[in-house]
Amino acid sequence: MTAPPRWIALPLAAVLLVCGVIGVQLANGGGTYEPLRPADPCAERTATSRADGIDGLTERLVLLGVNDAACRLGVTREALTLELAQSGARTDAEIDALRAGLLSAVRQMKKDGSLPPASDLVDEALDSANLNGLLERAIRLVPDSVINRALRTDDVLERAIEDLDLRALLANLDDQDDLERQVEAAVTEAVKESLLARLRNLL
Amino acid sequence: MRRAVTPLLAVTVAMVLADSAVVTLALPDILRNLDASVGQVAWVLIAYNLVLGMAAVPAAAAFSRVQPRVFSAVGVAVFAGASAWCALADSIEVLIVARCVQAVGGALALIGCLEQLVEVRGERRGIATWVTAGVVGTAAGPVAGGLLTQAISWQAIFVVQVPFALLAVPAALSVASAPPRASDRHRPAVRANVTLALMSAALTAALFLLVLLLVEGWGRSPATAAVTVSVVPLAALGARPLVRLLRPPPDVEVAVGCFLVAGGLVGLAVPPSAHLVWTIAPQALVGLGLGLTVDRLTSQAMEMRLPRARHAGWTISARHVGVVLGLAVLTPVFTADLRDAEQPAQEAITSLVLDSPLQPEDKIAVAQALGDALSDQQGQVPDLHSAFATLDVAPQDRPATDRLERDLDAQLERAATWAFRDSFLIGAGIALLALLSSIRLRRRTA
Repeated sequence: MTAPPRWIALPLAAVLLVCGVIGVQLANGGGTYEPLRPADPCAERTATSRADGIDGLTERLVLLGVNDAACRLGVTREALTLELAQSGARTDAEIDALRAGLLSAVRQMKKDGSLPPASDLVDEALDSANLNGLLERAIRLVPDSVINRALRTDDVLERAIEDLDLRALLANLDDQDDLERQVEAAVTEAVKESLLARLRNLL
Repeated sequence: MRRAVTPLLAVTVAMVLADSAVVTLALPDILRNLDASVGQVAWVLIAYNLVLGMAAVPAAAAFSRVQPRVFSAVGVAVFAGASAWCALADSIEVLIVARCVQAVGGALALIGCLEQLVEVRGERRGIATWVTAGVVGTAAGPVAGGLLTQAISWQAIFVVQVPFALLAVPAALSVASAPPRASDRHRPAVRANVTLALMSAALTAALFLLVLLLVEGWGRSPATAAVTVSVVPLAALGARPLVRLLRPPPDVEVAVGCFLVAGGLVGLAVPPSAHLVWTIAPQALVGLGLGLTVDRLTSQAMEMRLPRARHAGWTISARHVGVVLGLAVLTPVFTADLRDAEQPAQEAITSLVLDSPLQPEDKIAVAQALGDALSDQQGQVPDLHSAFATLDVAPQDRPATDRLERDLDAQLERAATWAFRDSFLIGAGIALLALLSSIRLRRRTA
């Protein structure tokens, strides 16, 4: 039996080297090194915010609402966000999905207990509301426990969302200051009016 | 002078072949400085290879009718003059025309230098010197171009060639020889040249795409990219000792080289991250494969075939037509893939911004700055740093925005890597085609 020629080591070494290099690359995630894939918008998602009060609540509502709207429209949350960031007219389907999404977000937050009590929102709402001084002072004197017994945050928010002009809101996304003003004013106004309506009845 | 003839002619051969890819890392600078489009800039690379590939065979045919030393000297002088013209070009059109003239001079110089080297060093050593100089030039081109662009400017790439080429003119004139006899004709080595063309296309995929990925996709500087891709020529140098040790048959050597290049390209297609270290082993495979194939195939195509210049013309043509073929096949693929990668990249960026631990007003500010940056840089991998540099956030939120910037850059690196994957894999497929053609060559000659 004759010994194999010395050169046979060359193709063998080449096969080992190629398999070794590709194997190490793949074993360390080489086959899946790609951009982050958007999560399924129909899967339940939690939302957090670094902001307090109405700002934080608004952010969490918007994050959950857009996710739910994306699920209703059959697109990813990211694709819907990018679409809404473009200028141009919104379709009725988008507006309806967003409103339904925001309402669903309120229900989800109520269910997981992350909605703040109504009394947490009153001071902030009153700060930005241009009310008669006497009325404002009277409202501030109402104990938190009385407000919370009389008002349910989810009811207030649902009324606010129903009244929001989403089409006008989405038409002004380019100007950050204006957008903040609109969101804050819309939510504050809705919260304020709901609270005032109930508080007037209380008083 | 006699002692300097061989190095000067070898350097000229290396420079002419290095010019095939020397501008790869300088293309972004040329694009900016000459106010050109991406398509025009690509022609700086394509024009040279196309003209060199087309001019080599007619140049070789003309060679038998002229004094070799005059032929070589004229070729080197034209190459030197056109290199200076490239450096002085003030528009992309002028640069492309100058590159075409440079390629014509380069074709004459390559044919002429081969005969001069054979005259000075004898048949076997002369051809070996010519072939080795070509391999070193091909592999070192992008490295040299990247370092010069980073250290000085893109014009420096062409300026540094001029003195070497000018010194090579008297060197070429000093070698007296008679025009080669037109008899003893052999048929061109078609299969060796086809394999060489396919390997050139695959190697273009390796070097051209890798430097683009490093600079445009991963945002590394031309100098960093140049140092990184120097692994290829260094590994190519390791091929000769390996061959001397194991003494494989030439066809086995070529087949193994093709397989290594294919494996290296697959490795480059699947890096686990954008860390440069993941490119080293695949590049070493490519370099080793280059060292095993290009000079062996060139020798196979020329060995014992006369007239020598004519066969040299065919090999030069095969190599550069292969480069153009590689660019023609791969450029539309990776540009389309880069375009397709925009959406997943944007969605990944949107996802990270939406979920970032920032104040709502900072999130909106980041989103708007990113939107502006992305729309300003359409058609290329965007640099998001400008969006973050102008951001006005509270000092306590700066660490979170810095982290977000790093995460977004990582997503862009992932998207760019993903976009280059198909092109690297196509390059690997071309290398495997070269392997198949070399196996058929073996059967035919067995």
